[in-house]
Amino acid sequence: MFTDKIELKDFDKMDPEYKELLGRVLTIQADCEIGGPHLYIEKMLPAAPTKLDQLIVARTAAEEIDHFRKVARLAGDMGTDVTFVLSQPNEKRFVDAFRGLITTWEDNAVFGFLIDRIGRYQLEEFYDCSYLPLQRILPDIVTEELGHIEYGYNKTLELLSKGDQQRERVQKAIDYWYVRALDMFGRSGSTRAERYRYWGLKRRSNEQAREDYIKEVNPILESMGLKIPDPLKGRRYI
Amino acid sequence: MPQAAPNTEKLDEHLQEVVRALRGAVKQGVSHSNDAKTVDNAIEDCREILDVIMAGNVSEWLN
Repeated sequence: MFTDKIELKDFDKMDPEYKELLGRVLTIQADCEIGGPHLYIEKMLPAAPTKLDQLIVARTAAEEIDHFRKVARLAGDMGTDVTFVLSQPNEKRFVDAFRGLITTWEDNAVFGFLIDRIGRYQLEEFYDCSYLPLQRILPDIVTEELGHIEYGYNKTLELLSKGDQQRERVQKAIDYWYVRALDMFGRSGSTRAERYRYWGLKRRSNEQAREDYIKEVNPILESMGLKIPDPLKGRRYI
Repeated sequence: MPQAAPNTEKLDEHLQEVVRALRGAVKQGVSHSNDAKTVDNAIEDCREILDVIMAGNVSEWLN
């Protein structure tokens, strides 16, 4: 296991596999950060239920753009250009969950509650990682992601209080996003994930992170009176 | 030191400005929530800024 801590000045001396994996993980992270606003801005900024919600949608997008900026800066300083993700169509996003468009407020709320939580999980993988510039940008980003999760949770609760028909719509959104959330962790037993761990770029295996997520989210869903979807139905990465 | 990718610093500075403008517009709207016209203007400002970012014409931003 690689246990050193690396600064930008050390990057050129690193093993090619380290450089490749760090460049790859930062590119995917940048794509996910900007992929969120690309999912919800078009339909949700004009359609949010109140003007305050419209402003919060805009603020959330501003924070995600800022996260993109920070990750793009790290990657760019290493010589990895991630600017192509700013203009690529949603269908080409690295992660399935970002390939589409959010068109309902239920989906927007549940996206914050379930998918921004995955964002937090992915960022937590970098805690105490071997690349120090990456460690340094984490605290502010994670704090903002926690705000997005809480907003999504509160909006989901608000929708659930509006009667059976609304509850069904929320459950439908949960059914859709839950399996996509589980898929976002990647395949169990992934050899690439093991290499990330070897180089100190991630802490957990894909299956361990997924298991931790399930243990955290399922009790919350139950406490909200929602059904836990079949964790295998519709999954692409088991 | 590794060679930075082209426009790394320029893009960083541009996006910092964008984020600052967006946060400013949101703050203006939220802090004047009783003034419908100010709120509408703030939302419109956010929409205009976000439309440009979502279009993703990076070369236009940096020129």
